[in-house]
Amino acid sequence: MQAQSARSAERRSHQEGPAVSQAVRPLLRLRGISKKFQSVAALQDVDFDLNSGEVHAVCGENGAGKSTLMKIISGELQPDAGQISLRGASIQFKSTRDAQQAGIAMIHQELNLVPHLSVAENMFLAREPQRFGFIDRKKINAASVQWLQRLGLDVDPKATVRTLSVAQRQMVEIAKALSLSAAVLIMDEPTSSLTESETTTLFTVVKDLKRAGVGIVYISHRLNELPGIADRVTVLRDGRRVSTADFAGTTIDDIVVQMVGRALDAKYPPPTRVPNGQVLMQVAGLTRAGIFRDINFDLRRGEILGFAGLVGAGRTEVARAIFGADRIDAGTIRIDGKPLRARSPRDAIRRGIAYLSEDRKAHGLAIDMAVAHNVSIANLAALSTRFGFIRLRDEESAARRYIEVLGIRTPSARQLVRLLSGGNQQKVVVAKWLFRDSRILFFDEPTRGIDVGAKYAIYRLLDELAARGIGVVLISSELPEILGMTDRVAVFRNGRITRVLETRCTSQEEIMRFASGTHEFAEAHAGHGDR
Amino acid sequence: MRDMETVEMAAIAMNEQRKDLFQKFAALASLLALTVVFSLVSTSFFSVGNALTVALQVTSIAYLGIGAACVIITGGIDLSVGAILALAGVVDAMAVRAGAPVSVGILAGLAVGLTCGLINGLCVTVLRLPPFIATLGMMLVARGVALEITNAKAIGGLGERFAELGNGSLWKVARIGDDGFPDVIFPGIPYPVLIMVVLAVAVAILLNRTTLGRHIYAVGSNSEAARLSGVNVRGVTNFAYILSGTLAGLTGCVLMSRLVTAQPSEGLMYELDAIAAAVIGGTSLSGGVGTISGTVIGAFVIGILRNGLNMGGVSAFIQQIIIGLVILLTVWIDQMRHRR
Repeated sequence: MQAQSARSAERRSHQEGPAVSQAVRPLLRLRGISKKFQSVAALQDVDFDLNSGEVHAVCGENGAGKSTLMKIISGELQPDAGQISLRGASIQFKSTRDAQQAGIAMIHQELNLVPHLSVAENMFLAREPQRFGFIDRKKINAASVQWLQRLGLDVDPKATVRTLSVAQRQMVEIAKALSLSAAVLIMDEPTSSLTESETTTLFTVVKDLKRAGVGIVYISHRLNELPGIADRVTVLRDGRRVSTADFAGTTIDDIVVQMVGRALDAKYPPPTRVPNGQVLMQVAGLTRAGIFRDINFDLRRGEILGFAGLVGAGRTEVARAIFGADRIDAGTIRIDGKPLRARSPRDAIRRGIAYLSEDRKAHGLAIDMAVAHNVSIANLAALSTRFGFIRLRDEESAARRYIEVLGIRTPSARQLVRLLSGGNQQKVVVAKWLFRDSRILFFDEPTRGIDVGAKYAIYRLLDELAARGIGVVLISSELPEILGMTDRVAVFRNGRITRVLETRCTSQEEIMRFASGTHEFAEAHAGHGDR
Repeated sequence: MRDMETVEMAAIAMNEQRKDLFQKFAALASLLALTVVFSLVSTSFFSVGNALTVALQVTSIAYLGIGAACVIITGGIDLSVGAILALAGVVDAMAVRAGAPVSVGILAGLAVGLTCGLINGLCVTVLRLPPFIATLGMMLVARGVALEITNAKAIGGLGERFAELGNGSLWKVARIGDDGFPDVIFPGIPYPVLIMVVLAVAVAILLNRTTLGRHIYAVGSNSEAARLSGVNVRGVTNFAYILSGTLAGLTGCVLMSRLVTAQPSEGLMYELDAIAAAVIGGTSLSGGVGTISGTVIGAFVIGILRNGLNMGGVSAFIQQIIIGLVILLTVWIDQMRHRR
């Protein structure tokens, strides 16, 4: 009843936004929330309301600010500005513990369980019922069973979490949050690792919770599951709230448009490359059990091919497998028509493939070594005498050459990479592979964590590389970047390529549909309306 | 604006270099300070004779320290060198006792060290055991084998030829005096010291000038980045353990020759001296950082501390305490250097 009236109140005030929806006092109310990370604004002036007994979906692209907002609600982060009130009372959380005590629980996307403890011990971690100073195991085991049963999860509470499947762990995480008897429950991608039937069970529980008056914030990239449970939807983009609306009055297409609807401005350099259509690399039927399957695509000389898709769709995994860093179970890769069998990166590098990891510091650079040493590491043989002595002068001049060509800002070739800025570190990785004469370059999220100016330089570089006849693969989660920089785009979803599109003839909306699977949904529900 | 940034970066780099220099200088300065202090305290400390004694005593720590530095630079650790040197030494002695020429005995000792190092390397790279555990196992096994094959008894009566490696020297100038006894004009450079110098120079060149050396640093600095750059991480890691094991074998041969007896219980805790030498010399236990020059200085710091404290009549127990404190102090300085 209450939820009903809240909804109608919301509908009436829909045009003016939630700021004036005072008909029912919301359970949770956020006003003017802003948060910066090192001068980069993650959230700007965001308003958000949650009523009891409603599921409020939050949508947005990667980096739109969803996670930051959730972390602020759950006390993990503190906002720089803005007010939060719970049941009308203004609150300030210093930690997740504060938020939990106030009745706000979060189910994390990345699993936050301690693998070596039991299911029950995890559920009651840091709030263990005690008996004579010892943990009351009987009590926690009995209490855990209740919650697990409610989720239809047949798991022994004494089982070690390490022995559970990812889906089971996700369900334990959900059970843990439920056992807090929270008034506000935040679900961040709760279904990303669940099967169909587990998802159905979860939704039943969600409906139970709604009836019990719990307010639920629901984040999911699987837009097509929202109609089943969401009451309202808020769309974030670039750290700002774009809209809040009743789910009944909107369509998935509307949401997608609002999510990606930013105009393309001149953030991308005009292309100088001219792809000539000659096939450089041919990938057919590439499969790695449980990770990706039946991947087929061609990479042409002088083109930039985009890999679009959601995080975890298999883009990075395919690139790493082609590079020989991970195992391949089936399929063939041909370079200039000749098969490549890379058992290690060494084999792939010899054939001219390079992979520039999304995590530069973990996989790309030895940051405590000099710029020159990082540039030369993949091609030391070319700088060495027959007996393996490095010609240090040649090494230094080669490094200087690439510092010049790529415009790396460093006082000298001997500077430690650690002391360079993010963009310049990225250029050092590029220099390494150019010096190796690579002909196929995989760039995995090359502009992540890089400021706008440096981004433009990287884009220019991608174009210049392609203009030299190199085949460039650009893996990116930013759709504008994919549209602005690529010639063709392969869209990934759940470990498969759902479609290869000509960039000129596509749109963010179309890519998003192939990436989130809503094209299937739309096709399956054709004639029943868009919802 | 941009230029300001570059200038700023250059300033930071200068600062870093100064810190690095300070670190190197700190070890060297403490070495000099120790020498000065002990010379003042004891008149017999600062003499050619004692310098040779110290140099000889340091050789074992230096050989092992050079191996330890290479392993630690790859991000590993080798706890087995003390035991390997005992096993290699007794195998050398047993071969000589069985009638083999001394050179064959030494080769046998080196082969033992190389094999043990290879096994360590394979345990780390193929079985993927943590280096601490792999070499701890080897430490127990090698020591056990050394004690078993000798029945825990020392092997003596090895003859003059066996003693040559540890006690002989190059360019020794002596004249038969009027009384018929040799009169030593110049004691010469003892073979163990010569070997130490050659080894230090060779491994320093290996680390700084060759592809393999660069790969050793790269593996220790970021093994995943090294692998993705096409470095043969397994091969490089194996090499470091093989080098360390072989140097331990060499240490065993030289040490047993110097004592002219092969003791299966020799070299107890030497692995810790070796690690301490590397660490005092600025090698980082998290890998990627370290030099041979620093390690040799570290070995001398330990050797001179021992020798000087001995001559000053400080008890062995107090010596332990002091060396322990020195290790804590130097590693703390190293941590300070990396905290920013």
